[in-house]
Amino acid sequence: MSKYLIRRLIMILPVIIGVSLVVFFMVRAIPGDPAQALAGERADEETVAMIRARFGLDQPLPVQYWVFISNALQGDLGRSTRTRRPVAAEIAEMFPNTIKLATAAMAVAVVVGVSAGILSAVKKDTWVDNLSMFIALFGVSMPVFWLGLMLMLVFSVRLNWLPTAGMGTWAHFILPAITLGMSSAAIMARMTRSSMLEVLRQDYIRTARSKGLAEFRIVNKHALKNALIPVVTVLGLQFGTLLGGSVLTETVFAWPGIGRMMVESIMARDYPVVQGAVLTVSLTFIVMNLIVDVLYVYLDPAIKYD
Amino acid sequence: MWERIISRQTRDVWKRLFRRKSAVLGLAIIVGFLILAVLAPYLNLHSHIRGDFRMVLQAPQAGHWLGTDEMGRDLLSRMIWGSRISLTIGVISVIIGAAVGVPVGAISGYYGGKVDIIVQRFIDIMLAFPGILLAIILVSVLGVGLNNVMIAVGVVSIPKYARLVRGTVLQLKERDFVSAAKAIGRSDAAVVFRHIVPNCMGPILVQSTLLIASSILWAAGLSFLGLGAQPPTPEWGTILSRGRDYLMVAPHISTFPGIAIMLVVLGFNLLGDGLRDALDPLDPRT
Amino acid sequence: MRRVGWLFLAVLLVLSMGSSVAARDTLIIAQGTDAVTLDAHHSTDSPTSTVTEHISETLFELTPEGEIVPLLADSFDVSEDGLVWDLHLKQGIQFHDGTPFNAEAVKYNIDRILDPDESVTFRFLLTEIIETEVVDEYTVRFVTEKPFAPILAHLTHTSISMQSPSAIEDYGEDYGDIVSIGTGPFEFSEWRRGSEVTLVRNENYWGEQPAYERLVFQAVPEGGARMMMVQSGDADVAVRVPPHDIERLEADQDVDIVMTPSLRTIYVAFNVTMEPFTDPLVRQAVNHAVDKEAIVEFILGGVGQPVDAPVAPDVFGHEPIKKYEYDPDRAMELLAEAGFEDGFETKLYSPSGRYMQDIQIAEAIQSMLADVNIDAEIVTLEWSTYLDVTGLPQEESEAPMLMLGWGTVTGDADYGLYALFHTSEHVPDGSNRSFYSNERVDQLLDEARTNPDEDFRREAYLEAMSLIMEEAPWLFLHVERQVTAVRSDVHGLVVHPAERLQAAGVTFE
Repeated sequence: MSKYLIRRLIMILPVIIGVSLVVFFMVRAIPGDPAQALAGERADEETVAMIRARFGLDQPLPVQYWVFISNALQGDLGRSTRTRRPVAAEIAEMFPNTIKLATAAMAVAVVVGVSAGILSAVKKDTWVDNLSMFIALFGVSMPVFWLGLMLMLVFSVRLNWLPTAGMGTWAHFILPAITLGMSSAAIMARMTRSSMLEVLRQDYIRTARSKGLAEFRIVNKHALKNALIPVVTVLGLQFGTLLGGSVLTETVFAWPGIGRMMVESIMARDYPVVQGAVLTVSLTFIVMNLIVDVLYVYLDPAIKYD
Repeated sequence: MWERIISRQTRDVWKRLFRRKSAVLGLAIIVGFLILAVLAPYLNLHSHIRGDFRMVLQAPQAGHWLGTDEMGRDLLSRMIWGSRISLTIGVISVIIGAAVGVPVGAISGYYGGKVDIIVQRFIDIMLAFPGILLAIILVSVLGVGLNNVMIAVGVVSIPKYARLVRGTVLQLKERDFVSAAKAIGRSDAAVVFRHIVPNCMGPILVQSTLLIASSILWAAGLSFLGLGAQPPTPEWGTILSRGRDYLMVAPHISTFPGIAIMLVVLGFNLLGDGLRDALDPLDPRT
Repeated sequence: MRRVGWLFLAVLLVLSMGSSVAARDTLIIAQGTDAVTLDAHHSTDSPTSTVTEHISETLFELTPEGEIVPLLADSFDVSEDGLVWDLHLKQGIQFHDGTPFNAEAVKYNIDRILDPDESVTFRFLLTEIIETEVVDEYTVRFVTEKPFAPILAHLTHTSISMQSPSAIEDYGEDYGDIVSIGTGPFEFSEWRRGSEVTLVRNENYWGEQPAYERLVFQAVPEGGARMMMVQSGDADVAVRVPPHDIERLEADQDVDIVMTPSLRTIYVAFNVTMEPFTDPLVRQAVNHAVDKEAIVEFILGGVGQPVDAPVAPDVFGHEPIKKYEYDPDRAMELLAEAGFEDGFETKLYSPSGRYMQDIQIAEAIQSMLADVNIDAEIVTLEWSTYLDVTGLPQEESEAPMLMLGWGTVTGDADYGLYALFHTSEHVPDGSNRSFYSNERVDQLLDEARTNPDEDFRREAYLEAMSLIMEEAPWLFLHVERQVTAVRSDVHGLVVHPAERLQAAGVTFE
């Protein structure tokens, strides 16, 4: 196990280097540069050249990459070309907001998804099952940003119950969390249902039933724990997906998170911020996956890694 | 002989597919939009390009069943013309993804060893990169427009195909018919593309159907961020996105394209689910 | 029943939070975006300048009426040859950190802006200054190489604000991030990135003290959301009212709609070196083919006015010169005269979401041009790419028609004409994206720049603008108007034509 863990940890490095290369060269392949984005309509070549020089953008690309990656390994992600703040500070400020939102969304997904899944499995082939699975399919079929707009339209514009945008009180969390969590909830519901059905077919459940145990107890005591093992995996993977998916939700709800920051930085050609943010999100994603894998082994002793 | 077996299998699959109500519903939705898309030029619609300034932001009413947009254009005609675009985006981007992902996955799985390791690292990198950002950056590099949206969304789906095909190939390559083909001296390429890949078709088909659904969503997301179709193209995601500015006064502009996107995506998801079950009779969900 | 009761309670709770009345010692302004930096020298956009100008002040001020008046300066003398400017400063003013405001401080600021290593975007405003000298404690001298008439106008620009030299020295690169120190009516208090900046009243302000304590700028990108905030009282002021929301908000008794002229002109530049736009007849034809009145009325909801000169009416030097009336028949005649009776195909480049309703305007132009057989394909690019593509030198240029806006923020025609029409300013050296070139116009613009005599300058600009209007290197569109939603109990807010808000004089009813 520990050997496996070490091997997996070592594998992170080349992937992260790969991600850094991809993001570094791709953002620079986009037409336009930070200097021009700053100077706006009024662009004279002198100013543009000055700004480029200031951020080292006049250096050859391999040199720039080397500077970037060697500093990054020491925790220095450079300074934003737009705000001139340290990128690390920008990320430290925005990333927790995204994590908070993703966690809230995850909570929505788990509560709604798992309970719908269990209900469906227990009431298999009844209208309850059909309805909740149909709703789940709608959940994965909706464009997130549209769901966000519609929720905003109903609950903020028409009913004026909830704030439209921004981040402040707990009330600000409700709509974005539902929006972001919806498709994960749907996936969790389907996952829980099928995993639950599989478990309910197992011998030991049959035994329990034949002993005349109440259905509720069977589900609660025996089936649930085993059924949730694959659900935990999905949960971990979904969390990573949520981090990426936050881009659109944050844009709709003006959430000051890393997703919106990345989009804005791409638009402003703020290379250091794009690089730093993408590295952070990727690393989080990789580590999440690793944790999920380890957790999986822990929960299900039948799986062995050599 | 082979052909007869395959056709019998196909028939069975169809039969099983049609037994599932949800799959039929999915297919019906898709066919419905397909018919609208094909018939768009013959439906005697209002112009979807040319607006009437005196009719801006009208709510749904007789003559304009879905209302008008901020340029005074009939939303229904724009939506119908838009169905062509969304279906095309879904299909083309999936073809792009499969065209690269399938051979890469097949080669990686078949040869194993160093090739596999290298390919796997590339796939890891692509999967670790937040997908929507990869798409945003790609479109920014290539330029705003539908063709580039399709390419970007297609590229993002490459690793998904590669993973899937690699896994299936790993299972298949130990099977008898593969060893037999190798034994009679078929070249590697022939073995992979004549014998192995055709046998992966089931999972690929399922994956593609589901990916069409998600590709349409991704493309709509890019349009939402202003990276989609060039105006005045009536792409649904773009209409939806522009309608945002009129949410207070004309909410119908954003509402209807959202419903349309959801329906089409739902159609492909239902069909994909149905196909998966039909192709795998042992699946517990059937 | 009990559950219904709970739900009701929850709803009440939410409702009460939504409509809580903001305490009247605070003014909340909802802007479209967050400040980018609080270092005034590096501010390049209106929302940022709106924040920084409450913290730090300029030497001169451009009043909303278009007059240039001293602010931190007290008076000035200019030498007879127009090369030496002596500025006498107001005395006894301190920066928020206690640093005295004096000639040293001014020199420090000007030197910093001109320092190439500092790469200040608006450095070009001052590049005519070759030397800054401290004459005595409260007198600072600028020396220019050539006479430079618009210098005072340039000194009104918010990025030429005076900031505390000691703070800039102490904080280095972190200045403008964790600290921002000026002489203004408000001091920087807190910045929650992506959401809001809070300022507090400067209790030692040299001028008139603000009547309230806290000034908060919130970033709310969605127009609809901003409007809801001001309607519900969560914000006192919301900028950039979406045109089609105006009517609805005017019906709201708690909200006033304030319309203010803007200095920003929206235009479509023709690449005059590219067929068929090399022919002035074709350019004039396009000007006649597009109905600007209709664009303003239907697409901008009346928020704007068709232009009658290359610069906005409130700019020094503006004269109403001419309007190209909407006349498709005339357009067809002109096209026929130019040999294009069957029209032609072209491309119309347009940014998306940069200017009010820009895509909609492009679509309207497209359909109006279709009426005179001009088939214009719209190309939208996201903003940074757009700048790149439209900034290519003449031989690489690929955009025959491109939509842009230009805010003459100094309120002086020099800023609005020189960079856009002078031959030396062809992109990428300057901002002349139509590659327009006319010797007489060049000469007039040069003379008006170096001659401080106001009447002379007006004459020169009139002639130059008449030539430009006649030769039509642009499709002249409209001047934007700023629409701001303000709670009706808020008085004294100034919406500046340079697209900034001045809130220091606000009182609550």
